[in-house]
Amino acid sequence: MTNSIPEIRDTDFMLVIGSNTSEAHPIIAMEMKQAVRRGAKLAVADPRAIWMSSIADWHLQIEPGSDVWLLNALAHVIVAEGLEDKEWIAENTEGFDTVKETVAAYTPEKAEEVTGVPADMIREVARAYATTRKAGIYYTLGITEHTTGTDNVYALSNLVLMTGHLGGPSMGMNPLRGQNNVQGANDSGATPVFYPGYQWAKDEDVRAKFGEAWGVEQSDVPGLNLNEMMKKMGTHVKGMYLMGEDIVMSEPNVGRLEEALNGIEFMVVQDIFLNESCRYADVVLPAAAFAEKDGVFTNSDRRVQRVRKAVDPPGEARADWEIILDVMERSGYENPRYEGIADVYAEMASLAPKFAGISHERIDKDGLQWPVETMDAPSTIYLHKGGVLRGKGLFQAVEYRPPFEQADPEYPLVLSTGRTLYHYNAATQTRRVDGLAEKQPEAFIEIHPRTARVLGVEDGAMVDVVTRRGRVRCRAMVSRQVKRSTIWMPFHFAEARANLLTTDAGDAVTGTGEYKVCAARIELVDDPDVRNVFPGSYQSPVELTTKQ
Amino acid sequence: MNEQTLTINGVTVVYRPGETILEAARRIDVDIPTLCHDDRIEPAAACRICLVEVEGSRLMQPSCHSKAQPGMVITTESPRVSRNRQFSLSLHMADTVSDRTIAEDANPNRLFELADVHGTAGVWAHVDSPRQGRPLDVNRFIHFREDRCIGCALCTRYCDEIEGVTAITLAHRGALTTISTADELSLTDTTCELCGGCIAVCPTGAMTEKAALAYGKPEKELEKIRTTCNFCGVGCQLDLNVDRAANRIVKVTPPPPGTTVNDGNLCVKGRFANDFIHHKDRLTEPLVRDADGVLRPASWDEALDRVVEGLQGVVTRHGPHSLGFVSSSRCTGEENYLFQKMSRAAFGTHNIHQCAAT
Repeated sequence: MTNSIPEIRDTDFMLVIGSNTSEAHPIIAMEMKQAVRRGAKLAVADPRAIWMSSIADWHLQIEPGSDVWLLNALAHVIVAEGLEDKEWIAENTEGFDTVKETVAAYTPEKAEEVTGVPADMIREVARAYATTRKAGIYYTLGITEHTTGTDNVYALSNLVLMTGHLGGPSMGMNPLRGQNNVQGANDSGATPVFYPGYQWAKDEDVRAKFGEAWGVEQSDVPGLNLNEMMKKMGTHVKGMYLMGEDIVMSEPNVGRLEEALNGIEFMVVQDIFLNESCRYADVVLPAAAFAEKDGVFTNSDRRVQRVRKAVDPPGEARADWEIILDVMERSGYENPRYEGIADVYAEMASLAPKFAGISHERIDKDGLQWPVETMDAPSTIYLHKGGVLRGKGLFQAVEYRPPFEQADPEYPLVLSTGRTLYHYNAATQTRRVDGLAEKQPEAFIEIHPRTARVLGVEDGAMVDVVTRRGRVRCRAMVSRQVKRSTIWMPFHFAEARANLLTTDAGDAVTGTGEYKVCAARIELVDDPDVRNVFPGSYQSPVELTTKQ
Repeated sequence: MNEQTLTINGVTVVYRPGETILEAARRIDVDIPTLCHDDRIEPAAACRICLVEVEGSRLMQPSCHSKAQPGMVITTESPRVSRNRQFSLSLHMADTVSDRTIAEDANPNRLFELADVHGTAGVWAHVDSPRQGRPLDVNRFIHFREDRCIGCALCTRYCDEIEGVTAITLAHRGALTTISTADELSLTDTTCELCGGCIAVCPTGAMTEKAALAYGKPEKELEKIRTTCNFCGVGCQLDLNVDRAANRIVKVTPPPPGTTVNDGNLCVKGRFANDFIHHKDRLTEPLVRDADGVLRPASWDEALDRVVEGLQGVVTRHGPHSLGFVSSSRCTGEENYLFQKMSRAAFGTHNIHQCAAT
């Protein structure tokens, strides 16, 4: 996020796009609700009717995957009506003219045909956004989990740059991070392209710096991103080490991935539970949960905060960092002697200027929002204060490209997937909480009442959801939350894995899979009692310990 | 804008337009006790604890609700203020359980804490309120104990104004006034999202947590450990309430409003989804797979040797770039740092990505 979570309540306009905020980020949703109570305007762009759209001034119910059309049309209106901040653009940006040329073709009327959003609503939202000073954009994976994810983000940032809604309180460009430490994992260099603190791995000087600090020459072979690793599983990738990740639940098109996993030679899984991926593991290492170890998490607004040990881990389970240190030592690498986890943070901070001013001691009471470059520097509440960080904000003209897969006669519906309030991702944790499991015990597929009637599907019936990649059985939830052309299911349920259905086509830049759009059909199930569920507990440990 | 002032206990205060007497007083560190007030919620002036004297006004004014006016002369401590406060506290205490041990059996009790500081007008005959409970509410988390409720409506106001779901409401009138749901449905069948905010704001423990109540240790006997939530990316701060002797997390409470990014709020997962930590399915020992294809328990020594042998074997046969390392955005920053260091420094490959990348 360029800005901070507590600033949201003071904003005057919010564009929430591709974010089911009240279910995925309930506490940020509370801030938004406060803002709306105070009189802020709210525009929600989402293919589904969600809680936030029920209190919104405008619900732009777009066709999944048509985001670039919508965003370029918003830009079109701003340019056509002269609402852009010309002075700010001249001072702080470059490349506006190409965007201006590109969006000229994206008229609201044509946008209505593609996105399904009325042209007048597009005009109203564009005007409201452009003419409100404290106007913020908030987005989540509904923007990024597309083959056009990077384009979607560019199209959003064009809006921010042309209106100058940057560098002040309660505005900006705000991706809401899906997990507690997505930000922190990226910050720490857990990505093939960056060393800690966003220092490019392709930069020779950076590699030399880390090579010297770590005492090992660094490879100049570019790393594979997650999507590439999954696609090259078994062919190029022969050994895997998974820490706290259940790939056969979470990766797209897992049917193919599972076949490929049989072709690898060695896999380690390190987790707090026996997860689905353990079926393919040669070694499973028991880890400590968050309440059993010390460290830091970094949240969406770049706030580095402490994680503290409250209880001992069960049995012989150990903190992930202790396990990693042992594996490193046994593989012949000699780390410096760390007296505790604070020393590990200090090592990282010494190598990454963005965090150089952060230490466990400094964040003992309150977190710090990076960049914090010296030990006496304060938090950075919002970025780009007094000018865009890179000097000039760069406009990026983007053209609409359709999703990888579109509805066709054979697969006439568009399937989208997502999270619910009561569960969390692979749900190894939340399905073990009785009150949550009761509130939401099983997978479901949302189908519009008219679509359901045409198909002969009754509310609560078991149906098969079928795509070119797989078939999953779950309960039909007939609901007006979705459009007639769209169906939606949560990805939390191991016995009905949504990711058997999704496509692993990824964004060209990030490799992020298109979880939000694929072509699907619904098939009726003859025997309504047939349930593809493990008996008893939803996962049977016995099943999981035997290799498939 | 003209600066406007009022006087509190003889001190002249410049106040901001729209500010209440309570807010103006706080700015000069004058502490006016409150019971039914929460900064996040519109004032209701229901409990009458915060009444102060305003010169020229026959009646005392609730400071949480009365707006500052130019030239007001306010007294927050006087025999009259104190008498009123003690009277109100006695009234409320007659409406809730009188035994302090019972009153503090689970959550802290702000009513008793206020009585400790300000005294009461004596112990009055207990009002046997015929307030209705919801004994048949089957939700697993939130329990309403009607005998503790004093009808301050902090819970329903929180539900309306902050969580915004309006699942609970004041029902009935007079002494029958209670906290209820539409048709007295279980919370799980209402718009309730089980955020548990009602528990956090309740001053008397009328709203409480079922599991913690069943555990049987009052909150004051538990140790609070401040940490960061392990679910979504908001970074809510949590206080894990730990029973040290039993090595057990009994419940989660939010830090006070206004102190952290979550402003005293939590969602259903942050507050209630912690059973997994002590779940019987937790992995407690390393497992290695034998030739027969079955995972069996092993010592750390054996398991770690297998890990290093396995990974180095792949490097020997196919080179370092045939390894893939996937770390977790659920793990700490230090763990992710060490994991990528392991990939790059110990095994020589940039094939490292965190799980949230796709």
